[in-house]
Order: sequence, then C-alpha cells, then structure tokens
Amino acid sequence: MAATLAYYPGCSLKSSSKFYEASIQKIFGRYGITLKEIEDWSCCGASAAHTVDERLGHALAARNLALAEREECDLFAPCSACYNRAKVTNEMIRSDAVLHAQMNRAIEPLQTSAAIEVKNIIEVLDDYVGAEVIAKDRKYDLSSLKVVPYYGCVLTRMMRVKPYDDKENPESMDRLLFAAGLEVLRWPFKMECCGASKTLTNKEMTRRLSDRIMDMAITLGADAIVTPCPLCQMNLDLLPALGRSKESLPVLFLSEVFELALYGKMLGAGSHMISAEKMLAKVKEA
Amino acid sequence: MNDLVNGFGFLKEMEQKTGENIGACYQCYRCTNGCPALPEMDFSPHRLIRYVILGQREKALTSKMIWSCLQCTTCSIRCPNDIDIALVIDTLRKIAVKEGKAKDLDTWTFDRYFLDSVKKHGRLYEMETILRYKLEKKDFFGDTKMGMSMMLKGRMGLLPHNIKDRQGMKALFEKARGE
Ligand code: SF4
Ligand code: SF4
Repeated sequence: MAATLAYYPGCSLKSSSKFYEASIQKIFGRYGITLKEIEDWSCCGASAAHTVDERLGHALAARNLALAEREECDLFAPCSACYNRAKVTNEMIRSDAVLHAQMNRAIEPLQTSAAIEVKNIIEVLDDYVGAEVIAKDRKYDLSSLKVVPYYGCVLTRMMRVKPYDDKENPESMDRLLFAAGLEVLRWPFKMECCGASKTLTNKEMTRRLSDRIMDMAITLGADAIVTPCPLCQMNLDLLPALGRSKESLPVLFLSEVFELALYGKMLGAGSHMISAEKMLAKVKEA
Repeated sequence: MNDLVNGFGFLKEMEQKTGENIGACYQCYRCTNGCPALPEMDFSPHRLIRYVILGQREKALTSKMIWSCLQCTTCSIRCPNDIDIALVIDTLRKIAVKEGKAKDLDTWTFDRYFLDSVKKHGRLYEMETILRYKLEKKDFFGDTKMGMSMMLKGRMGLLPHNIKDRQGMKALFEKARGE
C-alpha cells in the first residue's frame, strides 16, 4: 500500500545511527512508503528536557508536531525516545486544554492542533505493509537465524497515555520478525532497561544492565538481538568498548532484518561495532 | 522533626506536585521488585514512597536513589495502585536541585548541557555536550575507548547541526520555562 508519512529523524539518525536512516529509506522505498522529512525539525529533548522541566519537554515536542501537521499526514518517529515524547505530548495536549494553550504560546507563531497520529517503525510496517506482504515478498531464507526481540524500555511504557501495544509483553515486533522468516525466541528481557541514560554519567551501571541483556540472549542461543531503538542499539553495541571481553552478539535494527529478507545483505554492516559477519553467513538464498 | 502534621504536609505537597495518589501505597514492594537500578540505590523505591507518606522530607530529598533511578518506569507500570513512582522521583529531583539538596549532580549537569546544546543549535551537538560534561568532571580519559570505537565507525556526532529558526528556539525555551 503506497503511503506518505511526515518523518521526524531525531538527532541519533543524523549522527550516531545514520545507517539506520539509510536502512529505513531503503526498505520503505521498496514497500512504497514515502517519507517527507519535517522541515527545520528540532531536538525533542528526549529524557533530559522533561527531567529538567516538564513543560519544556512538551514544548520541544509540540514544535515538531506543529511542523509535522503542515505535511498533512501522520508522523513517523523511528527513535523510541523521540516517539515516546511526541506521542505523550500529542495525547496530553489533546486532553488538557490548558497545557495545549500554553504550548501553543510557547511555539508561536507555530501552532499545533494535535490532529495527526504519531507512529513508530513497528506500527508503520504493520499498518502500511502488513505481515502477509512481508512474508510473500521475502527473497532470502532467514530460517536459520535465531533472534531475540528487544523492544527497549520506552516504546510502550506510558503511564497516562494508551500505548500502541502491551506495556509489559508487546508482541508486534515478534509478528513482523516471524513474517520475515526468522526464528523468534521467547525471552524475559523484551523491555528490560539497557541503562542508556547513564552511559556517560555512570558507566559501570550501564555496563551491568547491558551485560545482563547480552548474557541472556547468548544463553538462549540467539544469533542476534533485534531492536527498533537507536539508543538501545548503540548502547548494546558499545559493550566491548565499555570493557566487556566475553562474546557479544550483533545488535540489528529492525529495518536491517528486512534488508536481509529482501536483499540478503545490509548496507550498514560496517557501522556495527560488534561484527555481524558470523550471523550474516547464515543468510541463505531462498 | 517528623510529627504527623508536618508529615501529611509533605505527602500533600508531593501529591499536589505530581497529581498522583501517593497515599494509596500499601507497601507491596512490586515497584522495588522490578527495579533495575536497585543495586545502585541507598534505599528502595517502595521505601521512598513510605518516606513521602511519613513526611521524611529530608531523607527523600537528600537520597542518592532519586539520582540512580533510570526513569525506565517499570515501577510505575506495575504499581497495583497506579502510582507513577518514576514521576514522584522526577519531581523530587527538581525540588532537591531547587533547594540545593541534590546528592548527585552528574545526571542533572549532563541533562543541562544537553539542553544548552539544543537551545543553541536546535539539535543535539554530541561532541560539544560530551566535552563540556567531561571538562566539568575533569575526566578526560575515562571513556577514551568508547569514544574511539564510535569515531572509527563514524558514530560520533562531530559537527553541530544548526536549525534555521534558532531565534524561535531560544524564545521557546524562555516562554516554556518562564510561564
Ligand atoms: S508498587 Fe505501588 S503500592 Fe506497591 S509498594 Fe510500590 S508504590 Fe506502593
Ligand atoms: S523508574 Fe527508577 S525507580 Fe522505577 S523501576 Fe526504573 S530505575 Fe527503578
């Protein structure tokens, strides 16, 4: 199904995870989804803004929502932190007229009416491609790849806003991976926090949290960890640099799995700090 | 001092600031059981909520645990009484900083530098933010290996990303924070 979406890349996809953007562009193009990057978008402030000042966090998100509305289509935010901020602010200003008015004053002359929906990459693939097409279109055999789906902690954990999938046990990415032909393992760490917010301020803590996630994936016999979140990807991919000497599994972006299913290779293989070579050898011609 | 009247004062203050029904806590420990930051904390999340209810204002504000928290919201999602514990912690951080009682300013400092960068450029300038933080901490070599790995793979943002409407951005910061 052809579709056009307003696109909010967020800071990660323009710096540390450029290859995620390239990967998304590649597979979305293949499935007929056009992305219109929001003009002059700004940083959403991630967790920093609302920690320092709640209203500032909402105002930063509202500015981007207002810019996205001009495109007159739904907003796609691939970074889970940006997605969370945008969605929460969007729904909160819908239900809180005072906050709505305050935000519109803060972003003047821009204005937001909170009329569009905010979507993450899993929702976009679900809504505009669907499991059936994914299964039908795959060109490579990924059945010998065992993966654990790692959703990360902010994708569906929302307190006063209804998330798109279950807060504790989301299944939507599992279904997409299954449709792409991989073996999806059950595991208890779908949403376990990797500690990305403390990578600079408390490295030991981040290391401990990320190590646990990596160890669990290895114990279960996975070939790779798959995530939609650039912060999780970066953080787990940094493990050897944080001092982990044990074996580490490659951490793939969800879109990279689709590259494998469609083209048998991934453009950004060289950007991974943990090599994906061993895993890539298991990809077979269909 | 911890007489009952003062005690309820703190509970009331926190319930007002967060909009949460903190008094509903019946100490089931569910928040604590799922907390990934527990090993770094001086006391646990359920205990923090207890301190709020009992009016132990100083204990709560000067704790290390409010700064070890990752804001992952596992606790909030699981609380059977629907208390947003992560929001309580987030709110305590703001009060602690305001009253000069914060025990660990690293997280706060980093978040502030992050926001300075956004205010100035419109987008995060990673290199500048990290360097400012490192300078403040006088920690120049602690993360060299991490930085090098990122650099080699082209994953470190070395250049600023300036948006066009930087004037509007500055105004947004002032208006949102001033109101
Ligand atoms: S989970 Fe909720 S009710 Fe249970 S101890 Fe924690 S705050 Fe109290
Ligand atoms: S939000 Fe903080 S207190 Fe709650 S579970 Fe996460 S780290 Fe623990």
